[in-house]
Amino acid sequence: MGMTPHPETTVEPLAAPGTLVAPELTAGPGQAPSSEKPRSMFRRGWEVFAENKLALVGLGFVIFILLFSFVGPLIYKTQQVSVTLTNSDCTPSAAHLLGCDDLGYDVVGRLMVGGQSSLEVGLAAAFVACLFGSIYGAVSGFAGGVIDALLMRIVDAMLSIPFIFVLIILAVLIHPSRITMIAFIALIYWPGPARLVRGETLSLRTREYVAAVKVAGGRNSRAVLRHIMPNAIGTIIVQATFAVADSIILLSSLGFLGFGIQLPQTDWGSMLSSGLNYINLGYWWLIYPAGLLIIMTVVAFNFIGDALRDAFETRLQRR
Amino acid sequence: MIGYLIRRVIQAVIVTIIVTIITFVLLHAVPGGEVRAILGIRASHAEIVADSKLWGFDQPLYVQYGKWLWQLLHGNFGYDIKLASPVSTQLWQHLPRTLVLAVIGTGVGLLIGIPLGIFQAVRRYSALDHIVTGIGFVGYGSPTFFVGLLLVQWFAVDLHIFPAFAPQATSIGGILSDPVALVLPVATYAFVAFALWSRFMRSSVLDNIVQDYVRTARAKGASERRVLWGHIFRNSLITIVTLLGLQLPVVIGGAIFIEYVFNYPGMGLLFFQSALNTDIQMMLAITVLTTILTIVGNLLADIGYAMLDPRVRYS
Amino acid sequence: MAPLLDIRDLRTEIRLRQGVVHAVDGVSFQVDPGETLGIVGESGCGKTMTALSIMNLLPGGGSIAGGSIQLNGQELSNLSDENMRKIRGNEIGMIFQDPLTSLNPTMTIGRQIAEVVSLHRDVSHEQAMDRAVEVLDLVGIPRVRERIKEYPHQFSGGMRQRVMIAMALACEPKLLIADEPTTALDVTIQKQILELIDDLRHRLGMAVILVTHDLGVIAGRADRVAVMYAGKIDEITDTDTLFTRPRHPYTEALFQALPDKAAEAGERLYSIPGLPPDLVNPPTGCRFAARCRYAVDKCRQEEPPLAGEVAGHEFRCFFPVGPTERNEAGRMASYNQSETDAPLAGPGIGDTLLELQHLVKDYPVTKGAVLQRRVGWLSAVADVNFTIRSGETFGLVGESGCGKSTIGKLVVGLEKPTSGSINFDGKDLSKSSHREYRRERRNIQLMFQDSYASLDPRMRAGTLLREPLVIQGIGTKQEQLTRVGEMLDKVGLPRTAADRYPHEFSGGQRQRLGFARALMLNPELIVADEPVSALDVSIQAQVLNMMKELQHDLGLTYLFISHDLGVVRYLSDKIGVMYLGKLVEVGPAEEVYLRPAHPYTRGLLDSAPVADPEAEKAKVSEGVTGELPSAIHPPSGCRFRTRCPLAQAICADVEPPMRRYPGEGHLAACHFPLQNPVGDVAASSATAV
Repeated sequence: MGMTPHPETTVEPLAAPGTLVAPELTAGPGQAPSSEKPRSMFRRGWEVFAENKLALVGLGFVIFILLFSFVGPLIYKTQQVSVTLTNSDCTPSAAHLLGCDDLGYDVVGRLMVGGQSSLEVGLAAAFVACLFGSIYGAVSGFAGGVIDALLMRIVDAMLSIPFIFVLIILAVLIHPSRITMIAFIALIYWPGPARLVRGETLSLRTREYVAAVKVAGGRNSRAVLRHIMPNAIGTIIVQATFAVADSIILLSSLGFLGFGIQLPQTDWGSMLSSGLNYINLGYWWLIYPAGLLIIMTVVAFNFIGDALRDAFETRLQRR
Repeated sequence: MIGYLIRRVIQAVIVTIIVTIITFVLLHAVPGGEVRAILGIRASHAEIVADSKLWGFDQPLYVQYGKWLWQLLHGNFGYDIKLASPVSTQLWQHLPRTLVLAVIGTGVGLLIGIPLGIFQAVRRYSALDHIVTGIGFVGYGSPTFFVGLLLVQWFAVDLHIFPAFAPQATSIGGILSDPVALVLPVATYAFVAFALWSRFMRSSVLDNIVQDYVRTARAKGASERRVLWGHIFRNSLITIVTLLGLQLPVVIGGAIFIEYVFNYPGMGLLFFQSALNTDIQMMLAITVLTTILTIVGNLLADIGYAMLDPRVRYS
Repeated sequence: MAPLLDIRDLRTEIRLRQGVVHAVDGVSFQVDPGETLGIVGESGCGKTMTALSIMNLLPGGGSIAGGSIQLNGQELSNLSDENMRKIRGNEIGMIFQDPLTSLNPTMTIGRQIAEVVSLHRDVSHEQAMDRAVEVLDLVGIPRVRERIKEYPHQFSGGMRQRVMIAMALACEPKLLIADEPTTALDVTIQKQILELIDDLRHRLGMAVILVTHDLGVIAGRADRVAVMYAGKIDEITDTDTLFTRPRHPYTEALFQALPDKAAEAGERLYSIPGLPPDLVNPPTGCRFAARCRYAVDKCRQEEPPLAGEVAGHEFRCFFPVGPTERNEAGRMASYNQSETDAPLAGPGIGDTLLELQHLVKDYPVTKGAVLQRRVGWLSAVADVNFTIRSGETFGLVGESGCGKSTIGKLVVGLEKPTSGSINFDGKDLSKSSHREYRRERRNIQLMFQDSYASLDPRMRAGTLLREPLVIQGIGTKQEQLTRVGEMLDKVGLPRTAADRYPHEFSGGQRQRLGFARALMLNPELIVADEPVSALDVSIQAQVLNMMKELQHDLGLTYLFISHDLGVVRYLSDKIGVMYLGKLVEVGPAEEVYLRPAHPYTRGLLDSAPVADPEAEKAKVSEGVTGELPSAIHPPSGCRFRTRCPLAQAICADVEPPMRRYPGEGHLAACHFPLQNPVGDVAASSATAV
């Protein structure tokens, strides 16, 4: 299902201790460290990111899907509101490039609507979940002690409950729409980022540059806001990217079971629910297009997330 | 180690209590919800009030919680009116079936994934490494239900090799005696699992390969083979063990899709049917049960980890 | 006698992202049976790569590009992996720097040692374990039969290194390669390990290659020395000759950068300007030319060959230093006094600035499954008293776990004392309110050890330097920026550095930044916690010189915390020696160094390697035996008694009081001191110091 700790794709073997890593060429204490422009974390991060071809492909695909879903309907106009049973399950033709589904909707048009749902819900749910989760995790990590222990037990509890069960229960209780989906998914997903950010906060808390703030007479709030949070942003952004991927999977899974967004809107998963019924009839246009889009979008976000993670890691390896 | 374990057990208990509270809150979230769960969404207000008294739903919340928890501890999940049977009976009927399929499926996934991951790490950046990585990407980018769907499409419908439905028998023995029908559902589990575990194992082995102790082993004159199996393997596995625990809710969550697609009479399918019936009681019962299983599973994984890693065992 | 190991023109490369690094570029040397060859150099010179190349244990991306390595006539460089394995652990043994990470954490040490035996000898499992027991006993592990079933994390650092040595020697190799074997260990343990290696060398008739950056270690243990720089050997000869008559300017410069020698002569350290060259594109000509004070054009164009006029002493220089009949261009190895100022006198030493009285810091030790009960206290600082006067440098020295870093944190305010007082300029810091305390921060600042970790990697240097001013609300933005510029000038960094990020600086430059930041608030007292420990000797010299100069300029007072006695002696007016939370001796630097009263101080001085072969040979005592006791249950009475050769019954019953010794403010706490005390027992408060 994908709501799992995302493993890394590449691990570069590190050089052995004592290995020579080419030091900067300077003539003495009186010279500038390097002759290039100062390179901030972001620029270096971007460079590493751009080197990763997969990430660029992923980014390209995400942009394509965004355009397809939101700009597409302006170009390829179809009727997506009322049911037209006379067109039910029509095969692909010039009029309907990928045929029609069992309610007579044009499949390509459906894909666009589904894309809108997936992206809206995915991005919004990821954003809300990560925002709330990060704050929760940062507070917990910084507070420490009993508060931290209690807050983390709550996180543990929520992470033990299988997401899909809660989602279905919520969908049954409350009418599922794009907005409610965003709320549901965010509600279930936030503990993951919370735990990660808490871990990051714990490790950053003991860094010496945080102590340096105290030595200069600064308050804790300054340490958190100006030193810990900016350094934790990297983890949060990586998390958020994977969160989008996971949200899309959750949404489509729910839709497949029939508990997803109601008509006339739809999502890719709901499109596939009828596909199962017609599997023996060979209506491939009801199965492959939607499924492929799900996979490709999710994989694209995974590529981006992996590359972002590598990009943020490089600063740690630079000694 | 004992201290570590006791701490983990107590944590698990606290977590379980929190889960029951959350579940209880959900059950009572909608006003009259617990009664609606029994009578249906369209019950009238009068009916709700009358039945609330009857079932004791008008008592203070903490009292209800206490009673409910007490019943839960005795394995009594209540009585399901819609199915006209005690909830627990349903659970104990369906749970073993789900477990059998999940265990076999995940087991196969591990058996394929772990060796593959090791192989990938040793031959990193080779063609095979990239291929497996690619398949893996698709693997955890694909929703479980779609994998099942595709397998049915290709192998059951198009090629007619395997049946489209899983064994329908009610007993474990019956299920196991129809291995052909088990292939596709197991393959679905396994595909998703292998994608994940091969990746984790590759990562873990690579992390270990660059460690100093590997260099020491080589300095002793050990062959690459010995270094891998005598040193790296065990240390890599240790990391995997804790991850196993974290994967449980995912596996259990995946069950619902596999059982739906293959019409397998397990707890996942039961949950789905309960959802169609708006049988909130059953849904919550299943949720609580699976969550407790997850917590126990996590605990076992942590115990396993404590036993395997001497740094925890003798600290 | 044919050499045991014969290396000719070895070239090793490492393939990195930015290019190919020529880590070892034409290295040749020989090792005779039974002798110890030291390979010394600073970080990046290629000494570790050379050592790893011998057994082909190079890291990913590394490969031998050329040259020959012969062990007893057998060529190793082109050996198949299968045949190389027969050599590793069998004919050649190797030990590494960090024994914790170098041992498999999930395998018992017995099995790890038995493994090397089983790999090379056709014996049963029991026999292999027996051999493991034998060899662990040989290296001095107590209660071997019990401990053989234990795991690496259950041993102390020194013990772990002994285990590594046992593992390397189990098959009685002819050659032992030791790569920085003691760098990660305390000084007293270091001496034990080096003694052990020496002892085993004699017993087993083994040759040793000792790779280290520490010239003191070389002085005491090596028969011959090769000095490496930028992938090449710059000088190779026997130890005595190297230290008394070095020929290569780099060797000469290294010696003049060492604090021990400079302290004796009362001179300034010579700091070699610049940094080592880039080995992806090595410079033409002599690699040291860019930093050599004697370099001329020929040096930059042509590379000097490794040659010598006398057998057994070769060097790579056209214009070597030192007197010789044949080389007219030779110069006297003189330290050109006129190049630098006269030895700096300290600024006038004034009144008492900082006073610690009965300072105690305990850390709770918790245990328990649910609620963390306190089962005990870790006594990090136990009743410490001393004073520092304005303008003075107080060096606080001791090994790991002695509490010196904790004292630093207490003085600076990162920790609160359990009891006792810290008086700064007459005011008791522990009694001030939060707000007062934050204002007081201006006067006491800290310079961190790990400059990389103490500078926020996401902020530019300028912003980092401005931050203390911003926090304290001093000056307008313009004024703050001006001050940043001034500070950068003072520490010898260009003004453009303000726009750079920490990762763009070298280690030494980062230390300067850290120091600049400490100076921003115009403090009176600076606590420097191991500020130069992570730096190479030549960079260290730069930073120490800077600190001394600025002390003079700005009238600073230093509390200098370090484990390195040489550095402390060079910089300090007064020295305090700590052991396991107690201040065991304090007094004027020269007094404590030359005429210590406390046995631990003596042991410490004996253990610390000095870059002088004569002095090393003159050391007779064993240093300090045994292991550090636990700080949670420190020994009763005198805490040092468990490792003290002079301990008697009374040492366990009565804690020795501080008594006076010759020298101003020289105090020590010992029942059986090495000198006779002067006068009576000192007053319990330290005000008279």
